[in-house]
Amino acid sequence: MADIKIVNLHKEFGAGADKVVALDDVNLELGGHVFVSVVGASGCGKSTLLNILSGIETPTNGQVTITQEGGPARAGYVFQSARLLPWRTVMDNLLFVQEDRSEPTRQRCQRYLDMVQLGDKGKKFPGELSGGMQQRVGIARAFSTEPDVLFMDEPFSHLDAITARSLRAELHHMWQETGKTVVFVTHDVSEAVELSNRILVFAKGGRLAEDIPMDLPFPRESADPDVALAKAEVFRTFERIGALTVR
Amino acid sequence: MSTVTAPSTSPPRRASAEDLARKTERADRLRTWGWRLAGYLFFLGLWEFSSGRLMDENLLPGPSAVFATFADLWATGEVPSAFATTLTRIGIGFFLAFVVGVLVGMLMQNRWLNGFFRDAVTIGITTPGLIWALITAIIFGNREAGPLLAIVLTTFAVITVNVSEGIKSLPKDLIDMAKSFGVGVLKRNRHIVLPHLAPFLFTGVRFGFSIAWKVTVLTEVFSSSSGIGFEMRTATQLFRLPEFLTWILAFYILALFLEKVVLEVIERRFFSWRTSLKA
Repeated sequence: MADIKIVNLHKEFGAGADKVVALDDVNLELGGHVFVSVVGASGCGKSTLLNILSGIETPTNGQVTITQEGGPARAGYVFQSARLLPWRTVMDNLLFVQEDRSEPTRQRCQRYLDMVQLGDKGKKFPGELSGGMQQRVGIARAFSTEPDVLFMDEPFSHLDAITARSLRAELHHMWQETGKTVVFVTHDVSEAVELSNRILVFAKGGRLAEDIPMDLPFPRESADPDVALAKAEVFRTFERIGALTVR
Repeated sequence: MSTVTAPSTSPPRRASAEDLARKTERADRLRTWGWRLAGYLFFLGLWEFSSGRLMDENLLPGPSAVFATFADLWATGEVPSAFATTLTRIGIGFFLAFVVGVLVGMLMQNRWLNGFFRDAVTIGITTPGLIWALITAIIFGNREAGPLLAIVLTTFAVITVNVSEGIKSLPKDLIDMAKSFGVGVLKRNRHIVLPHLAPFLFTGVRFGFSIAWKVTVLTEVFSSSSGIGFEMRTATQLFRLPEFLTWILAFYILALFLEKVVLEVIERRFFSWRTSLKA
């Protein structure tokens, strides 16, 4: 469980007339065993936020600190596509992001492969697996480093509805079991409401418009009236900030 | 009294789809090899028939005469020694070309250096090996630098173009993934950049080698005093056609060996993941 502190975060791409503001003065604190979803329309800076948090991109201004009990925190990342090395086997893909290849490390990787029900696919190459299986390997890879914080960028958006649903259930189960801090970017409001206990709504121009707590008990079924009400509230927020306006 | 026992029957094993596929593949391979062999037999037969019947056997010695000469020259040690000389030249020259090619390919990622090298690489790719072989023969005579320089000049550009294309298409998403997990730059290079570049390098080596091979023999024909090309020149000058054809045969066997055995083994060893992809 990590503590994330974001102070006056600002990110721009390009210069002059081509300048685009991706994140505009974002301030945020989150930590502990939370599942935070970041929602908003395309181009509102959701993925940029995640890339800055994970160190792939650097901010134009502002500060981001991620700590674990005062020290540096370890992070894992699940991407929109699986991003596996095609020339390494499934097991080697997990080992690639570990600090060593010792027997205990291998056993840990195997445990997470088992958790995503791919325990027998360690020797396969990614090209031999289906898209859903590859995405599960990506999830196992992120968990296998036993990170303090897990970043996920629309991890189920490329999958069919049935696979996505079962992976969501798996992810929720793993989150509860491992007690991690999860920051989850999605454009799917239902997904955000069913999985998270906090939802951050971003508006166009990279502004953090709303921070909505989600205190409903788990498991959350989409047919549950309370869940439907919560979704409606998020959509109302979208409306209020103008994200649903069609021009 | 005799007893009759029913023969023990085991349920007949049903051929799985995999078995069937394997069988079909094997039959297919056998047929391909059959046709290949038939091709060899037909053309060698035609050649043997022509020798002494359609053409004077001094002008066109048959394959049997050529194979006999090959065996003689092998026994005297001439063939292995000429092979060793030519192969050493190719080895050193190609190694130099590889180093130069990779270096230039990397430098060309810089916009200004790209402009600096671009036309030189185009010239390297388009100039026929024969021209470099002639120029280096005139400048260096029978000194070793001639064939080596000719190999570097004809081959480096092929390597450069391939390396350059490989670097341009580096998988940024995989590199970002590694960064997000805190994987260091050395490990990233070893496990992402090198495996990504390997097929490009391999293509460069494959094409480059076939060019290096031809230009080496050409320079030897023009100016060397040893090697397969030199032996060909000597045989021509002395009008020993069986010997000349023997050297061509040697050339062919070696090229086939390098292409079909050495390079294919390397390909199978390092690119097995692509085979699994196709499957």
